[in-house]
Amino acid sequence: MSWLLPSALAVAGLASLAAIALHFIARSRPLAESLPTARFVPRRPVRARARSIALSDVPLLLVRIAAVFALGAAVAAPVFAAARGRVRRIIAVDRSRDVGDLREARDSVRALFRDGDVLVAFDSVAARLSGAAALDSMTTVDAPGSLSAGLAASLRAATGLSSQADSIELVVVSPLSVEEIDHATTSIRAEWPGRIRLVPLRAAATNERAVRVESAEGQNDVVIAGLGLMGVPHAVGDVRVVRGRLTATDTTWASDGHVAVHWPANDSVANWQPRPTIDAIGGVTSSSGTLIGRFPRLWALRGHAVARWADGEPAAVEYAVGRGCIRDVAIVFDPASDITLRAPFRQFAARLLEPCGENRRTLRADSALVGSIAGGSRFTRLAPASALRDRMSESSAWTPWLLALGAALLVVEMAIRRLDRRPA
Amino acid sequence: MTGPSYGALLDAVRGVHWQARRAVASPMAGTHHSKLRGTSAEFTEYRLYRQGDDPRRIDWRLLGRSDRAYIRLATDRAILPTMLVLDASASMAFPVATRAKWRRAQEIAIGLAAVVHADGDPVGVAVRDDRGLDRLVPPRTRRGVVGEIARVIDAAQPAGADPLAPRLAALRSARIAVITDLLGDADELLRAARVHLAAGGEVHLIHIVAREELEPPRRPILAADPEQPALQRLLVDSTRRAYEDAFGEWRAEMARRWRAAGAVYIEVVTDEPAPHAVRRIAEAPRVGAARQ
Repeated sequence: MSWLLPSALAVAGLASLAAIALHFIARSRPLAESLPTARFVPRRPVRARARSIALSDVPLLLVRIAAVFALGAAVAAPVFAAARGRVRRIIAVDRSRDVGDLREARDSVRALFRDGDVLVAFDSVAARLSGAAALDSMTTVDAPGSLSAGLAASLRAATGLSSQADSIELVVVSPLSVEEIDHATTSIRAEWPGRIRLVPLRAAATNERAVRVESAEGQNDVVIAGLGLMGVPHAVGDVRVVRGRLTATDTTWASDGHVAVHWPANDSVANWQPRPTIDAIGGVTSSSGTLIGRFPRLWALRGHAVARWADGEPAAVEYAVGRGCIRDVAIVFDPASDITLRAPFRQFAARLLEPCGENRRTLRADSALVGSIAGGSRFTRLAPASALRDRMSESSAWTPWLLALGAALLVVEMAIRRLDRRPA
Repeated sequence: MTGPSYGALLDAVRGVHWQARRAVASPMAGTHHSKLRGTSAEFTEYRLYRQGDDPRRIDWRLLGRSDRAYIRLATDRAILPTMLVLDASASMAFPVATRAKWRRAQEIAIGLAAVVHADGDPVGVAVRDDRGLDRLVPPRTRRGVVGEIARVIDAAQPAGADPLAPRLAALRSARIAVITDLLGDADELLRAARVHLAAGGEVHLIHIVAREELEPPRRPILAADPEQPALQRLLVDSTRRAYEDAFGEWRAEMARRWRAAGAVYIEVVTDEPAPHAVRRIAEAPRVGAARQ
């Protein structure tokens, strides 16, 4: 037997001690009793209290202590473990775009799965599968994987299993590529109080490649000058930066599997929907970096955002054209500004130059990082179920009965007090 | 005649006599010394004939032998009508659980009635019944009067705070026994008793005191007077001694004042057996004996 909130027992103990102390030093109003010769008692304020330093009303004290402990035990919520020495397993399987071959993932899971195991499938989000049969209908999701999401879902599943086992094993079936590990992964991993068994999968092919930018503009253009510092401009490239009007030629070129970045130098070379109110804003951000400055907002873009203004409004959008895509970038720079010559611009612009969609960084994560996720030397054993128990949300079947017992004892206590108050 | 609960009591007081404290001025023949000296068979002494004496009381044989006229004197015996006045105020129903005071007062009244009746004296009772009405059994000598008194007393229930003095003042019996705890109209009662004593009657004050009044519980209590609900006093360790002193002084003062008035004052504590108390009351010293 264990307790979900053992501190409640300590509180009940303290309350009982307080009750005992009060019974020792009780200052109670004496009970009115008939005494025909009361007139011979000296006058004294009736509100005065009678003191007693002896342990008084022992039956009442016992009932009170029993009631306090019954209520304390109800709050402490006793839990009786249903199974002993049992190990339950949670298998978190990756179904994101980072998995090279989903059949490999299915086979790995089937080789591990046994009755009673819990299956969690994750991509950018995670969901619990109903069983091994659900593996057949599991398909790849075109979204980057998130190991954090998988671990978080596994933790939730482990909480539900904690009352049925002594230990819980977590198995992660994933290529563990770079893009699946984010800043939260380490923190969430630390919440799992045991080692994690990692079953690596073959990762999907990466689409990362060296960026080659071509542009008709000269080096005097502020954007081209900034990109020049990135070392990406070439005579012939996969990414075309268009600073003037976007032509049919550009669109055709993009549909051949290229990226056309329409980045107007001024408001006269774009026919986008103008904003009802032209204003200025202090920053713009992409997934690769943030640029701080004062930018006029001339257009209202709609579509899949690849960069956003500081207030969340899209500053650059992408839409597919044939096998390629076009990106409209509504960020206008002052020709006299040197903001594009600074490092933040280069970081910010990197996302705008990525292949259509975005880069798939499916390279396997650093071995040290993978080792720390597995547990390294810090976690060498399976996670104990007791450490995974969610004591705040778990409930005890005994609680209602203990509450009822406490209430009954309080009724008895009240009855005893009333009996004691009856005149002699 | 009487309930079974009084059987043992009546057996225990059989043979007890309750003599008058002084000579009785009653014309009816009884067992008590009479103030009148007449011609009863019980010879006492001779006295020289004086003018005005009844010539029929002259002892002619002695006149013939001595040539002097003597008359025979004899002490008359008279009856002593007795009334029992029972206090049925709320304070007599104490302790609440046992009503020991009321129970002891009932037993003493029945016991005294039996003793008086056995002496051939008329006996009656005055008490308030359970409906708050005064019930009076006039002094009688007939058979069954003790049972009648027992029924009247059994029907009474102690309650309220009716004064006892008017009841005493209305009685004309030669001997009155008042059974009370004196926690009501004690001063008025004493005043009425003085009037009765001045008229040549006897007053016996039987003061009923509960053991629980002498030794109240050791635990702290808020003592409430059953006849004055507003009177509540805190009886704790610090006030207990003062209470016991005040109660003792009051009882001593009551005894002194009643005795000074010429009454017989007898205190009966509830743990004293009723037959013992009745015997003690009946055997109270007579006035002449006390002087000796």
